[in-house]
Amino acid sequence: MPQLQASPDIDFHSDTYRDAYSRINGIVIEGEQEAHENYIRLAEMLPNHKDDLLRLSKMEARHRKGFEACARNLSVTPDLGFASQFFASLHENFQVAASENKVAACLVIQSLIIECFAIAAYNIYIPVADDFARKITEGVVKDEYSHLNFGEVWLKDNFEATKEEVEAANRQNLPIVWRMLNEVEKDAKVLNMEKEALVEDFMIQYGEALSNIGFTTRDIMKMSAYGLVAA
Amino acid sequence: MFGLIGHLTSLEHAQLVARDLGYPEYADQGLDFWCMAPPQIVDSITVTSATGQVIHGKYVESCFLPEMLATQRVKSATRKIINAMAHAQKHGIDITALGGFSSIIFENFNLERITRVRDIDLDIRRFTTGNTHTAYIICRQIEQASQQLGLDLAKSTVAVCGATGDIGSAVCRWLDARTDVDELLLVARNQTRLQDLQAELGRGKIMALEEALSLADIVVWVASMPKGVEIDPTTLKQTCLMIDGGYPKNLATKIQAPGVHILSGGIVEHSLDIDWKIMNIVNMDTPSRQLFACFAEAMLLEFEQWHTNFSWGRNQITVEKMEKIGQSSVRHGFRPLLLPPLT
Ligand SMILES: NC(=O)c1ccc[n+]([C@@H]2O[C@H](COP(=O)([O-])OP(=O)(O)OC[C@H]3O[C@@H](n4cnc5c(N)ncnc54)[C@H](OP(=O)(O)O)[C@@H]3O)[C@@H](O)[C@H]2O)c1
Ligand SMILES: [Fe+2]
Ligand SMILES: [Fe+2]
Repeated sequence: MPQLQASPDIDFHSDTYRDAYSRINGIVIEGEQEAHENYIRLAEMLPNHKDDLLRLSKMEARHRKGFEACARNLSVTPDLGFASQFFASLHENFQVAASENKVAACLVIQSLIIECFAIAAYNIYIPVADDFARKITEGVVKDEYSHLNFGEVWLKDNFEATKEEVEAANRQNLPIVWRMLNEVEKDAKVLNMEKEALVEDFMIQYGEALSNIGFTTRDIMKMSAYGLVAA
Repeated sequence: MFGLIGHLTSLEHAQLVARDLGYPEYADQGLDFWCMAPPQIVDSITVTSATGQVIHGKYVESCFLPEMLATQRVKSATRKIINAMAHAQKHGIDITALGGFSSIIFENFNLERITRVRDIDLDIRRFTTGNTHTAYIICRQIEQASQQLGLDLAKSTVAVCGATGDIGSAVCRWLDARTDVDELLLVARNQTRLQDLQAELGRGKIMALEEALSLADIVVWVASMPKGVEIDPTTLKQTCLMIDGGYPKNLATKIQAPGVHILSGGIVEHSLDIDWKIMNIVNMDTPSRQLFACFAEAMLLEFEQWHTNFSWGRNQITVEKMEKIGQSSVRHGFRPLLLPPLT
């Protein structure tokens, strides 16, 4: 039997770590900012859920502040330029879907894809985070589950009417997620987060969400792996 | 509800099965993909006991493949098992068997230290290795198949390959306590563990595989090998019973010698058809009735409502526990797989 290697001790203050952290933390801050804005936009699109969505949006703003504090704690300046590039495609797709009033597509992008991505990444980060960031991230990830749940419930209630829009949004956006993961693979590795584990956790969370919405195992296996191999 | 966590025997096997089941996006993928693939519930199962009781279960494919161990992708291997367990628990399954390599990986890499998986607190009382029932069935196969061949255990030498393992050590304990087997040959690699086992039993000869094979009337294969071994049939005894309990099989060679009888070990036959698809996939001869004894253990624990990790840890299987699960096995209509009638 081969051996399981013990995780190496991480030097959170080394230049290498802080350099990689500046990009990963930038992405996280930008991601929370996107989420904040997306929920405000969704609140306009879904007036019946306005209060809920504005509450989620406020939580996202709090998350951003928490992660900004994590950067300060390690004396890191987040690379926000890199981060907004990183999110450009998803950002663009959300804006287009919103302008066409495609609620389901917007929820797929924000409440399923971005939230599942965040949940996967935060869960994998927590065991290898510095003490300060761990506490903050643990608090955040709990909130993200409730955001995912919002999307699941709405898409479940409107399953038949929006199924095709969900599938189309999946086809359009999932390949972007794989590309994004590839872009951060190296930096994530420095933080002791492995791409394979990130992809697996994302697929688990995303598959679970699709299942709660009403998709079958067969649909889920197709949808959650869509475009992965090409990436 | 009971659960079964299973895996396929090789990448090639996995690709074939995925194609068969109509999952082309899984069928065309290499090992890298399987290392990232999440667990899936791919079958729902209904089992009726000989008593008439009906239970329901689910089959969880972990996406683990033995190649992950052979290529040192240990982290992937351990993730598959833990994620499959979390998946089973999340779906409300009360008792789940960790089939094939799942329990071996759990033990070897001390996965009991992982108590939390994402938003789930793993409750290990909901899982069983199924090894007590497997060991019991293998012992009954030794007793009954030897009779089929006219081998007298009192005059027979039994070699156990993988003797120090969880199943192997239980088999040795039973053979020592419950049968009059003449000679026990203990085969494994680690000498300290072999000596410990020998001391516990107060008998048995520690031996290398080749030598044991040339002396044994009966060979029990319960080694955890990601790939089977090749053996030379000409070195075996004229009449020889080989019970291969490995998954994947320990024997890579298809032996065709007149006196050598090969029996799949740790396999039970149910007296009633089981409604499921999954045993086609693992190449059982009679897929609606035959299954791994470890899976059957989860069914037995569900029939009996013993929702507890009946088989757990390593080398703690007692003859009494084997008897207890054995009685349940008989009561609900399971029988050990035997040799086809000799003509
Ligand atoms: N039919 C069923 O229902 C069923 C159920 C459960 C398990 N199984 C199968 O049964 C087998 C054993 O399972 P287990 O849980 O008892 O495993 P285990 O506790 O890990 O024990 C494995 C044994 O094999 C020995 N071994 C490993 N590689 C070997 C090699 N190359 N040559 C000789 N000995 C070797 C080990 O000792 P050393 O490491 O010292 O060599 C140990 O004695 C596995 O193939 C498993 O998949 C079948
Ligand atoms: Fe957030
Ligand atoms: Fe969120």
